[in-house]
Amino acid sequence: MKRMMAGVLIGLVASVVMGQQVDVRIVKQGSLRKGISVDGLAASGGMASLFRKTLEGDLGRSGYFEIVPSGRGMVSVAGNCQDLGGSLSLVCQVRGVADNRVYLEKNTRQASDTARYQAHILADEIIKAVLGKTGLSGTRIVFIGNIGGRKNLYVCDADGQGVQQITRDGVPCLAPAWGRDARTVFYTSFVGGYPDLYRINLGNYSRTRLLSFPGVNVGAAISPDGGRLALTLSKDGNPDIYVVDASSRQTTRVTRTPTCAEASPSWSPNGQQLVYVSNKARLPHLYIASASGGPERRLTYQGSENVEPDWGSDGRIVYSSKRGGRYQLCLATTGGEGEQLTSDGYDHEDPSWAPDNRHVVYTKTGGYQSSLYVFDTEEKTEVKLTGLGGNCYSASWSPR
Amino acid sequence: MRAEQWMRVAVMCVLCVAVFAGCRSKKNVATNGDVLAPTDVAQGDVAMQGQRFGEGQRITDPEAQIETVKFAYDSYSVEKGEMAKVEKAAAFLKKYPEVHLVAEGNCDERGSNEYNMTLGEQRALAVRACLVGMGVDGTRIQTRSFGEEKPANPAHNDAAWAENRRVEFAFFR
Repeated sequence: MKRMMAGVLIGLVASVVMGQQVDVRIVKQGSLRKGISVDGLAASGGMASLFRKTLEGDLGRSGYFEIVPSGRGMVSVAGNCQDLGGSLSLVCQVRGVADNRVYLEKNTRQASDTARYQAHILADEIIKAVLGKTGLSGTRIVFIGNIGGRKNLYVCDADGQGVQQITRDGVPCLAPAWGRDARTVFYTSFVGGYPDLYRINLGNYSRTRLLSFPGVNVGAAISPDGGRLALTLSKDGNPDIYVVDASSRQTTRVTRTPTCAEASPSWSPNGQQLVYVSNKARLPHLYIASASGGPERRLTYQGSENVEPDWGSDGRIVYSSKRGGRYQLCLATTGGEGEQLTSDGYDHEDPSWAPDNRHVVYTKTGGYQSSLYVFDTEEKTEVKLTGLGGNCYSASWSPR
Repeated sequence: MRAEQWMRVAVMCVLCVAVFAGCRSKKNVATNGDVLAPTDVAQGDVAMQGQRFGEGQRITDPEAQIETVKFAYDSYSVEKGEMAKVEKAAAFLKKYPEVHLVAEGNCDERGSNEYNMTLGEQRALAVRACLVGMGVDGTRIQTRSFGEEKPANPAHNDAAWAENRRVEFAFFR
């Protein structure tokens, strides 16, 4: 609180000293969002309004910008977006407020039913042009939706809109994970009566059964180079981690623990190690081992359970830790356990890193109702993904 | 002479009893609480058949309706009080050599869905290990875990959760 007050004070002083209305919002960690105005972009017609609303949402959700009135902020988006019936016309300029520098210009006419998609593209272009960063607006999230007991795979945009139902069989399914591109999803389904591993092509919705060993075939994670899948198989008498070559389907056993179970493998950024859950210590904890097998090292000691790790490309592992009876999101590195991110009275499970290594999508459950939330690890804030009905869980964030 | 003979017979009897008692307890002895680890059963770490066996016809006769085995929270130990159900299943399998079994493991809704798939599988494997220890051929038994995906009771309370932590016997011909 004191730090925040000091920050606000500094901000006020700075704006007075600089003699300009530079609105900078100081947030907890001292990270600065840049002010951007979008109301200078006139929007006429339904799809044009949807375009502008989506654009504002994407810019704010990126964590880099805060929407401010025009005349303020660092950047302005101005121009005209018109819904012409079948097509959407977009003429706009993105300029620096202080120096009037033109970051980018748009003059397009595209099908109006792609309005949201166009907005995602523009948002990412602005983030790239102004800040040199790669945005998330065009990424997607795959998840399981349970509506009235029927469980199916769904995909939505990173803002929770544009929900598409991928499967219709309604049978139990779990652990969806993206392939190396944003068009393939691996998941385990009981559609064949047993927990088998499937691959779905999101372009044509074709589904291929990949693995159907006796026992379980669950928790597939694709390696960073796309060549291998790690998952849990129990075909040799016990649930253990295996690595399967994506083309030859040859399996290599990673863990050999005859009396305990391993689950939820996740690859290190260099593809050489796996972090996974084991109940070797009776209750589930996280362990790290080489992906080609060998001695394992225990990573977590705090909390009564530690599950569902996701190893991000910057080396940080986000996972769910049961503390005081509730599952909370936590961070770790190979060096050991790090900070606890959440602390409210809900359960926070199944975290998945966004490709910006800053945001995490996860399942928040209270009163047995589950919704998807996005947590900002920098600002320590969260946003509910709206536009989703029923109970949603097991989300995975697509690569770019 | 007679006394010596009787002594010998007596000693033999004692030895026989000792040997048989030892055998019986060795088969059923548990190393991890009440569960038989797969490596402790007669055939060691018995891998399941290379192919998942085709299910054939599900047997629904009353004789095949054996009570489900219940488990404690976060545990895959087959407790002493549940062993009678496993023994019934073993007897059924021995009586009908053409029958095979899919042991179906389940969990309550709490915790990670993925972890619960493996916990359900461990429960099914524990029951399988018991059956193998009771003399059933391991190749006649496979496992199927539903994790927390197929609750017997959808309510959110201790009674329902206890009902859901179970292994069901699904016999096929």
